[in-house]
Amino acid sequence: MPTIHVNDIDIHYLHMRGKVSGGPAPTLVCIHGLGTDSLASFYLTLAAPLAAAGVDLLFYDLRGHGNSTRPAHGYRVENFVTDLDGILTALQVNLPVHLVGNSFGGTVAFAFAAAHPAKTASLVAIESEPPTDLWAQRVGELLRSTKEQLSNEETFQQIAVMFGDHHARLSRQAYRRLEETTMAEEIPAGRVLDLVELSQITIPVLSIVGSDGFQAEDPYQLEGILPNCRTVVIQDQDHSVLVEAHRQVRDLLLGWIFRRPATTNVPGDPR
Amino acid sequence: MTVPGTRASSVLAETNAMINELVDKYGSPPVQVTMDTLFHDDLELESIDLVTLGVMLAARYGEQVSMAEFLADKDLVDVIGLRVGELVDYVVSQLDLAAGVG
Repeated sequence: MPTIHVNDIDIHYLHMRGKVSGGPAPTLVCIHGLGTDSLASFYLTLAAPLAAAGVDLLFYDLRGHGNSTRPAHGYRVENFVTDLDGILTALQVNLPVHLVGNSFGGTVAFAFAAAHPAKTASLVAIESEPPTDLWAQRVGELLRSTKEQLSNEETFQQIAVMFGDHHARLSRQAYRRLEETTMAEEIPAGRVLDLVELSQITIPVLSIVGSDGFQAEDPYQLEGILPNCRTVVIQDQDHSVLVEAHRQVRDLLLGWIFRRPATTNVPGDPR
Repeated sequence: MTVPGTRASSVLAETNAMINELVDKYGSPPVQVTMDTLFHDDLELESIDLVTLGVMLAARYGEQVSMAEFLADKDLVDVIGLRVGELVDYVVSQLDLAAGVG
């Protein structure tokens, strides 16, 4: 199990080389979401087709997740940004990288792009938004209410009945993470970006959202605050776009990285 | 119960040893898997454990055995319902391909 020691923790990662030779391959760094998520959600859905297309891929488990160390403290967005910078330095990834982040992973990607513009080629945000005051307020409330609900044993029984034992087990794991760390308190307390800082993220941004996801009320909101952002809405999908619609996400990513039209028509995409 | 062929029996035995390394990490007692054992419901392993198992299989059998390729076109429900036998059959097919069998 390959790990890199950065910022006093061990980060579990997988570096997969693109299979097409000739010229430097673009590097895509995949950043997963919070809770029960890990590098598996990207690795098991996108690794094979993207590597076959010639993309170098870097997957890693965020601190406190998957097979990376779970420290009791250190969960502000800037901690996650410092980790990513340390990983790229340790693996000697010198060219600007494309970032793709799912949910909170996208928030980390936006914060990284703002802090390290020269190291970022582009950004794909899946059901995600930058760290802003409003985001911090919403994610703080979500983490607080999740922690409170999961502190009740009956919640796991209800989850098991409604979604099966597998989801109940995952929920128990998520609760342990929230109980054993300061994640729920620190994540919303990190440094946020203001409108001026957001306007300075000039790299191309692709925002992929589900029509019924977290940004359902205003799916195109990022286009109003970022200077170079395009949005794709995937119809009949909620926050689980990456896993539930992974074939569409794969085609969008390939089209994005190689700047060619996506090979799949995204049903109902109005643009 | 699914009965594996000779080659599959050998891959199953090696996969069983690797899975026991994983369950040992969680402090769970040793298991004896069969072709019909379910990764998620029977072994209570999660997706990240499949990734780790994939790394172990590639180290043992070579890069032609790729968990990422094996699972790339499956939907979430297929991954949750994955049987050990499906993975064993995939490994055998990749080894046959590499050996020019079939």
